[in-house]
Amino acid sequence: MQKSRVSTGLKRPGRHRLMKGLVPYLYLSPTLVLLAVLSLIPIATVFTYSLLDNVIITRDAPTFVGISNYLDIISKSHFRQALQNTLVFAIASVIAHFILGLSFALLLNTNLIGANAKALFRVIYILPWVFTASIIAILWRLLLNPNGVVNYLLISVGLANEPIEWLSSRQLALQSVTFINIWAGYPFYMVSFLAGLQGIPTSLYEAAKIDGANGVQLFRYITLPQLKPIITSLAMLDFIWTTHQFTLIWMTTGGGPIRSSEVLSTYTYKTAFSAFQFSQASTIAMIILALTTFVAIFYVRNQRMAAE
Amino acid sequence: MRRPSATALTRALVICGLVLGALFAGLPVLWMFASSFKSNTQIFAYPPRLIDESFSLAPYRAVLTDPQQLRFFFNSYFVSTLVTLLTTLVGILAGYSFSRYKFRFKNSLNLLIIGVQSVPPITLMIPYFGLIVLLKLYNTYWALILTYMVFTLPYAIIMMTGYFNTLPRDLDEAVLIDGGSSLVILWRILVPISLPGIVSVGVYTFMLAWNEFLFALTLTRTNEMRTVPVGIQLLMGQHSFEWNQMMAMSVLGSLPVLILFLVFQRYFISGMAAGSVKG
Amino acid sequence: MNKAFRSLVTLVAFIVAGIVLAQNVTLEFAQWWEPELPAGEFRALMDEFEAQNPGISVELISGPYSTTRDQIVAGAATGTMADVVGLDGAWVNDFVRQGSLASLTALMGDAGYDDSELAAQIQLGGSTYMIPVVNFVYPVFVNEDLLEQAGVDAPPSTRSEFAAVAATLTDPGNNVYGWVLPLSMELPNGIQNDVMSWLWASGGSMMADGQPNLVGNADVISVVEFIKGLYDDGVIAPGVFSMREPDKVEEFVNGRVGMMVGSLAWLNLIRDRNPDLNFAITALPAADDYMGPRGLPYASWGIGVAENSEHQAEAWKLVEFLMSSEYNSKLSSIANAFPGNVTSTPDFVETDQLFADAFNVFQQGYLANEFVGLPVAENLMRLFDEQFQLYLDGDLSVDELLANAQEAWLENF
Repeated sequence: MQKSRVSTGLKRPGRHRLMKGLVPYLYLSPTLVLLAVLSLIPIATVFTYSLLDNVIITRDAPTFVGISNYLDIISKSHFRQALQNTLVFAIASVIAHFILGLSFALLLNTNLIGANAKALFRVIYILPWVFTASIIAILWRLLLNPNGVVNYLLISVGLANEPIEWLSSRQLALQSVTFINIWAGYPFYMVSFLAGLQGIPTSLYEAAKIDGANGVQLFRYITLPQLKPIITSLAMLDFIWTTHQFTLIWMTTGGGPIRSSEVLSTYTYKTAFSAFQFSQASTIAMIILALTTFVAIFYVRNQRMAAE
Repeated sequence: MRRPSATALTRALVICGLVLGALFAGLPVLWMFASSFKSNTQIFAYPPRLIDESFSLAPYRAVLTDPQQLRFFFNSYFVSTLVTLLTTLVGILAGYSFSRYKFRFKNSLNLLIIGVQSVPPITLMIPYFGLIVLLKLYNTYWALILTYMVFTLPYAIIMMTGYFNTLPRDLDEAVLIDGGSSLVILWRILVPISLPGIVSVGVYTFMLAWNEFLFALTLTRTNEMRTVPVGIQLLMGQHSFEWNQMMAMSVLGSLPVLILFLVFQRYFISGMAAGSVKG
Repeated sequence: MNKAFRSLVTLVAFIVAGIVLAQNVTLEFAQWWEPELPAGEFRALMDEFEAQNPGISVELISGPYSTTRDQIVAGAATGTMADVVGLDGAWVNDFVRQGSLASLTALMGDAGYDDSELAAQIQLGGSTYMIPVVNFVYPVFVNEDLLEQAGVDAPPSTRSEFAAVAATLTDPGNNVYGWVLPLSMELPNGIQNDVMSWLWASGGSMMADGQPNLVGNADVISVVEFIKGLYDDGVIAPGVFSMREPDKVEEFVNGRVGMMVGSLAWLNLIRDRNPDLNFAITALPAADDYMGPRGLPYASWGIGVAENSEHQAEAWKLVEFLMSSEYNSKLSSIANAFPGNVTSTPDFVETDQLFADAFNVFQQGYLANEFVGLPVAENLMRLFDEQFQLYLDGDLSVDELLANAQEAWLENF
């Protein structure tokens, strides 16, 4: 042991540095292999589709059409409406998830109730998170049915005179699906914020109290800034996930009535599997990729600034 | 120094808020639970009632005595458990690399890992399916396990990187001085301290794998390989749905996830955020 | 001798291999039928096929109806399509364009099959690609209790009568409506079953020479105006724009709608869900002055063979088996459907009065569904659905509706 170390002593630094340089890649290698094969290859294929015409749907060989699919899609008013609906859906969801998640986390963080009661509330509060999207859609279809329990309660207490068509009126459909998505998605934030709140040193609060800060000021100048890194991570991930939300919208409204709750994911699905235009659908996917990558770049830059 | 009455008032307000929140979160689920005991006709009855004379355990019996449905549950457990273990393991290694090393392309790779989840899964379906067939993984557990790893790894890596970033580097130095390797640092020092973060990644991964439907259906061919969400979808027929059995199946399906959460909630609660503290 | 011995070995090897191969043909049969039928029934039918055809086994690949088409598309694109596939008439054109379905005309020729017993064949470009195995017709279900309460003695047979009865039945205070109309965007087949069916019942057509013919089509105009009239009168149950077929039947079962256009497949389901409900079956009403035979909307469980199947001859045997008089009767009986073989008689026709009534309706009319075989048929329904919803909501005139729908359709032809 000793001997070998001595004998290789001269060569060691160079090889060592090389080895050391490889170490981080070694740790990353399982991830990189997996993502390269199962993520980059399909994405590259979809990108190729977006430059071709006639993919998948016919026996004839596809033809190269360059960016004409992109020009085509961007000029469609249906696409722009879906994009707009997606932004409304995603931004409203992210904001509401944030507000609800933080409020519930603050409530659950209280020391005014016992530990067991807290545990019980915690479990109730994460309930919306544990069901598969299709069953959430089915459940809310039942609840929001014109003859469903929501309308029944509203009519019983006099808040409505006749059944409200939550999912089948053009004015309400997008709001209703957004609401369902908010209900289904806030627990993820809540749990993260709960943890974040526990990570804030109590000394900060005590010092501020001595300086005479009130509850609102404590929240504004200590809680929020301390949670900021969590907030940005969550908001970015949630934004990406929400723009992908398909099952929930598809199985409640199918993007309708007309196109009032059409989002990019339902639009893509219809283009691919109903209209059989896979090139166009791939093009939409690439546009979504570009938009979300923009958000991701912003996020990574933000993280780097925070780290420095 | 607050007066006692103010504290009592705050307490009342907090409890009030908690109860309202619980109603918001819990009532729809309570309705699902109640519906799972009703007859299919009564589920649509007006005026709606929480419990009615059609109350019966039949939907549960139908699910629990059907060997095919039980197979779906077994598959879901098996796949979700393996995905959880593997994603956590691979995520820890990658997070360690991002947190403790400086290397070329670090930012690009970071961006890439976030970027790969930016394409809506629905559009990837056909090329992805083709790839799985090409790799001879079609209709195997591995198809599902690797797919869910791809879905969950970005989040796992972001979380683990953030978590390791919060841990002081003095810990690593001590091991290095003692002649330990970087793997020793990771397994002996960082992993035990990061258990809360790891658990939170695990629970998230488990939930995703347990609930995913689209790929679970596309990448499998026979019912021997399919999972609970596909089983639920199979109860939605061409002309009619088995509403009560669907509800019963999702209630049953949610139990392991809830139990998991209850068991791990101590870790979970303090883990999730530390990960993002330095993101 | 050595040479002779070697040839003998080769010969034996060939024979053995031949036998082994012949015994090892496994047909994959992708369909959504198995989960729709009582547990085990469809498998039992396949077992009979295997018993009759030693050397062929059938592996059933079953999925939910709502995703079957997507799965076939993905399978065809990646070369993993099953040998035999269950088809809906609305998909055929797209699969043929994709090149994924084999011409059954050729297979019938190879097998020397006499197709005179087949009730229908779905053809494109002169070749058959799908054979309807069983058919589900869409008559009108009438809640007799509600009719009686409203003092109506006979179910309506013309559109005016239908509108009048629907208005009489409607009582929003008691949450009862005359009719139910599902126009969900998720599965827009309400356009086929509940809207265009009125057109076909009066002998009308939405096509001319293989092209859409909506603009200025008096028959189509009278149908959409008729439905708009019902909608404006408030006799249609609420929730129209997001309602799906499975919701529709629950409204009927709960006695909240008096009349519904519905699949005959529901007959037993309705009895099972509400044994106390008194209901009858009648043909879809025709235009007031129409005297000709009535087109009956229908949905099929069709069957096709994959173009890239290595066992097309065996696959055809399975098709032939399912279309044979005896087994077609069996399948029709367990599915509560009408047979695709003209000589088959499902046993329920003799034992069940309501089915007998429906069979009567079926025999007096003819099967009509113009969406079968059209390109991207489901998308056509959805495009029409969008314009139709705008029209019902009052945003479009009837001419604008038809002009917009026709323009949208033409893009797909």
